[in-house]
Amino acid sequence: MDKDKMDKDRENRITEYTDIDNGLSDVQRVKVLSPGMLVVRRFLRNRLAIIGFIIILFMFLFSFIGGLITPYDETEVFRYIGSMSKEYVSVTINEEFRFTVAEGMAYDNATHARFILAKNQGESVFTHGGEAFHIIQEAEDFFRVVLSYPKARITYIRGIMGVTPLEDGLSYDEEFQNAIRQAIDGGQTSFIFGDEQYTLSRDGRDYVLGTTQDVAIESLLITDGVSSNKDLGFGFKLESEKALRADDSTSFVFEGNTYQIEEEENVASVYRLTGSGREQFALISPMAVQAVSRDVVLTIEFKTALEKAIADGETKFTYPDDAGNEIVYDINRINNVYTVKTETNTHLISMHEQPSSQHWLGTDKHGMDVLTRLMYGGRISLMIGFIVVLLETALGIIMGGLAGYFGKWVDMLIMRIVDVFFCIPFLPILIILGSVMDKLDVDPQLRIYYLMLILGIMSWPGIARMVRGQILSLREQEFMLAAEATGLSISRRIFKHLIPNVIPQLIVLATLGLGGVILYESTLSFLGLGVKFPFASWGNIISGVSTAYEMTNFWFVWIPAGLLILLTVLGFNFVGDGLRDAFDPKMKR
Amino acid sequence: MSAIKDDNIIEVRNLKKYYPVSSGLFAKVKYYVKAVDDISFNIKRGTTMGLVGESGCGKTTVGKTMIRLTDKTDGQILFNGIDIHTLNRKDLRAIRPKIQIIFQDPYSSLSPRMPVGEIIGEAVRDNNLVPKEDFDDYISKVMLDCGLQVYHKDRYPHEFSGGQRQRICIARSIALNPDFIVCDEPVSALDVSIQAQILNLLMELQNKYSLTYLFISHDLSVVEHISDTVGVMYLGSIVEYSDKKTIFGNPLHPYTQALFSAIPVPDPDIKRDRIILEGNMPSPANPPSGCKFHTRCRHCMEICKHQDPQMVEIESGHLVACHLYPTKIRFIGDRL
Repeated sequence: MDKDKMDKDRENRITEYTDIDNGLSDVQRVKVLSPGMLVVRRFLRNRLAIIGFIIILFMFLFSFIGGLITPYDETEVFRYIGSMSKEYVSVTINEEFRFTVAEGMAYDNATHARFILAKNQGESVFTHGGEAFHIIQEAEDFFRVVLSYPKARITYIRGIMGVTPLEDGLSYDEEFQNAIRQAIDGGQTSFIFGDEQYTLSRDGRDYVLGTTQDVAIESLLITDGVSSNKDLGFGFKLESEKALRADDSTSFVFEGNTYQIEEEENVASVYRLTGSGREQFALISPMAVQAVSRDVVLTIEFKTALEKAIADGETKFTYPDDAGNEIVYDINRINNVYTVKTETNTHLISMHEQPSSQHWLGTDKHGMDVLTRLMYGGRISLMIGFIVVLLETALGIIMGGLAGYFGKWVDMLIMRIVDVFFCIPFLPILIILGSVMDKLDVDPQLRIYYLMLILGIMSWPGIARMVRGQILSLREQEFMLAAEATGLSISRRIFKHLIPNVIPQLIVLATLGLGGVILYESTLSFLGLGVKFPFASWGNIISGVSTAYEMTNFWFVWIPAGLLILLTVLGFNFVGDGLRDAFDPKMKR
Repeated sequence: MSAIKDDNIIEVRNLKKYYPVSSGLFAKVKYYVKAVDDISFNIKRGTTMGLVGESGCGKTTVGKTMIRLTDKTDGQILFNGIDIHTLNRKDLRAIRPKIQIIFQDPYSSLSPRMPVGEIIGEAVRDNNLVPKEDFDDYISKVMLDCGLQVYHKDRYPHEFSGGQRQRICIARSIALNPDFIVCDEPVSALDVSIQAQILNLLMELQNKYSLTYLFISHDLSVVEHISDTVGVMYLGSIVEYSDKKTIFGNPLHPYTQALFSAIPVPDPDIKRDRIILEGNMPSPANPPSGCKFHTRCRHCMEICKHQDPQMVEIESGHLVACHLYPTKIRFIGDRL
């Protein structure tokens, strides 16, 4: 019974076994893949390489598609309207004489300078341009400058006075003579008689009496009209100041109008009397009030209020604006200058704005969207990487191929050039070339192309050396001898036997080189020698952050860019390693 | 005599190959390494000549120079009466398929990035040896002839064992329908069972395609198995040349005797007189004067140190270069 079962089991097993076709026939074999598919398959089996590939794919989409999707421009600057304490008015305590010229008279800055000199030396007469100007002091810091016309020579010895008229037109009655005598006794150089102003000047032992004509007034005070633009004129200024200086009078008449002066500390307001009442007409003070912005017109009321506040020594004052809102003004004094600041609304650049829904990664110091900059920067970084690698690989293959295939002196020459290139310190040369381009003021767009060219030219020797080495070793391989022995043409030997055996290493080197080039570009851009503002590159985005404060507070500017560089280089390295493994047919994995 | 001459597929006359050695970059040539120093021999159509000798005695150089993979220094190589070293590039390419080589190392002699079918067929296509429509069948036939399967066509060399690779190498040569093949130690990289397979394959193919081989080896038993005639080389020169039976039955040159005494006999009871050579082979850059072998020869005479021995024909077709056999001098030059 048991034996039967065992036999049956055995029989079953045997049939089962023989049913399986174990032969190594054509049908049984796994389908043979083409070399390209084999490489792809081996590559796809490498997990790290896939990760690297996905990273690079992401970078491409991010840079090239992202730049199209983003609503912002590469160099779009974002602003906002914000209030800012801004200088509104500056007030200066006037310490310089200012002059107002009478109508039709010649009195310029040079004459003014002469006046200052004469005044400081205590002289009462000065000459300028062949004319003698007489200074008549009306008050401590208020002078009239007049031209004098000699009318009579006066001899005055010990109380005895003799008048010799030089010109007709004046009657020297006793009253007038007394006035002259009084003036001479008092040592005055001018005096008033009647409504006329006379001058007395010494000529040797005698005096010369002259009538006057006003040329200008010199004063420390500043007279402002209701409107800053309106010139009040010589006459008004003369009359108002005269009235202000006079102890007794607080009103004066000018051109048929009556004006009233109200003095308060240093500030005096001039009112014009009208039929119904009075209105403010001018402001006289030792302060020059100037709006910082040209388009701001200061009203006389504002000026009065401001000057009163300054005179009271206050640091703040309020004044209603056109809409009637009370606005607070801060007054700061620096020496003789007061600055008045107020909160003003202006357009401000959104610098270093924190990430928000509008700007996912905030804004940089130029007020540009960091995410958008990263996208455009990726374009440039990746493009530079690819073009440089293409360039250096092309140069490397040509030079290395020539050296390897022809050998002898060609090899000697090219390899010595390679040695020389290897002796050149890479970074210093790039820095020097970068600053040369700075000096030559190369256009930023053109500069990117130059950068590609320079990096390409600087980095071909590594590839040339590799290609040469490969070709040298391949040339000695027996399959190359066999290819020669079978009578293959030279071009076929090169392109079918030599190059395919170099390509894998070349692709690996180029892929790994891509990461290196991107790093170099970033380094240069970080140092400010590579891609220049306004063009973005990952390197110069990072270079926007240069201090510890910026680094700790504006992490959203540099961390994403740094991360992108890191990931991209890592991705290229992973893919490079994966390709190397995939290209190696001996790799069974 | 002339009949024999017509029958020679290849004639080597006074072949010399010197490699210049210079020290430094721009220095002049200091001396020459005389890898092949005045060698002459003929191979008859459809036969195999074995070339034996120690490592470094110039066997491979002879082989490579014979098919112009390296340039000669002096002498002539006549293939079917044509000096292949004087051909221009075009004529050389035309004649290339007729003279093939099989290398020692089956691993490095196959391009790693080509499928086997391409390796075998590439030169066939490039030289337009068969019509396009017959190409696939032709390659399949050659592969089957060489013991390969047709489905191996799409595989890559690294998927094959050493023996199979050597078969691929042979197939590559055979596919070009050659007349003459230099087999440069084709079995020395293989283990013994595979060696026999490959040797039998070579002999089979020789019969089938009436091939002529120059079989280079340092393995005397292999040479004995495959060769019709044998040349023994020492330091760039042939010291003895004869047909296989004569030379194995009656080796004359002291070096040949020493060499043959080293062949292992698969019988532990047989006691052999082994001739142990003392010292190493002198450098081919600075060969000894007179007979090159005299430094290690146990029959060394005074004349050996000064005078280069000439090839003499001791018996019909048995030539030896040794002062021990001074009589019956017949210069090989007279023979040709």
